[in-house]
Amino acid sequence: MKLNLTKGDKIFLLIFFAVYIPIAFLQARSVTLPEGIGQRWIVDIIPQWGLLGRINPMTVIMSWVTIGVILVLFAPVFRGFKPIPDRRQAFLEYILNYLYTSTKDMIPDERFARPVFTIAATLFLFVVVSNLLGAVPGVQVVPTEKGLEVSLFMDTWYSPTSDLNTNATYAVMVLILSHIFGIKAKGFKKWLKAWIEPTPLMLPLNIIGEIAKPISHSLRLFGNIMGGGILVLIISYLIKYLLMPVFLWGFFGIFVGIIQAMVFSLLTIAYIGTQIEEG
Amino acid sequence: MDGITMAEAIREGLKFLAAGLCMGIGAIGPGLGEGHIGAHAMDAIARQPELAGPIVGRMLLADAVAESTGLYSLVVALILIFVV
Repeated sequence: MKLNLTKGDKIFLLIFFAVYIPIAFLQARSVTLPEGIGQRWIVDIIPQWGLLGRINPMTVIMSWVTIGVILVLFAPVFRGFKPIPDRRQAFLEYILNYLYTSTKDMIPDERFARPVFTIAATLFLFVVVSNLLGAVPGVQVVPTEKGLEVSLFMDTWYSPTSDLNTNATYAVMVLILSHIFGIKAKGFKKWLKAWIEPTPLMLPLNIIGEIAKPISHSLRLFGNIMGGGILVLIISYLIKYLLMPVFLWGFFGIFVGIIQAMVFSLLTIAYIGTQIEEG
Repeated sequence: MDGITMAEAIREGLKFLAAGLCMGIGAIGPGLGEGHIGAHAMDAIARQPELAGPIVGRMLLADAVAESTGLYSLVVALILIFVV
């Protein structure tokens, strides 16, 4: 591969490395492993309620940031579809077209394909944008023994999907939706009968199989994003900001993030699809 | 070693040992599974190179599903280190 660099590019790269490498070397001596790895900033709003009365403020804030990013990026597209698409519209059309074809593959019935596609595409956009936020250096708040510590551009943005609460919410939502779709498609009696198929002996196994779906669905995304984040922090502690973090953020943030978002929405389609077509 | 009893020290050590064993043994299964998936995808691409695009897409999807048990062991290891 041959790189064609213009004069401006070369000057930029020269200045970049002249500033970047000394900073990296100077910082390398003072870098310590961040104290609050894996710890979450949790606020008890209503202490009497125990687990139900506490929230994770970073998740709430970053969820709103994610929604804002989606609106800023994609709202202009929906205001008017052009016959000759610009870059954003082409990107969005590509994603939605891919999701729609895979929905049609699994759910041929047009009546159900469109709402399922809407759900899957919404989940995909939210999850992919929040995963990609985890690939960009940003602000993170971690609790340490001294109190809250705000780290600026030492770590990536806190991604809402690296909190199990977000993923579990969506996974349980998908489970309930899949049964609603199942009742709509097959009728209540057939849906009830599907629990004791092929024999009534299988009832406990069927129930456990349904409970296992949201658990694996949510833990897959959580493990990938959260585990990737912690892995990047621990490896980049060895050579902070010299070489590795950029590559690692690229791999764990962008590659794994996009793949896992795709897997999440495809599994959503698959779970709803199995409920619909059993009858 | 002041302020920490022998029992606590053993407990701390066993915690990290358990986390390491959990992650190491738990990574065997997904590794084998993803290897199989990759090998068969290579076979399929060698047979029909024009289908490389869809095959790679589905291979990545199958990889993501195959590695979920490894991720469970990752979650268990994280719980062992940070929570227990």
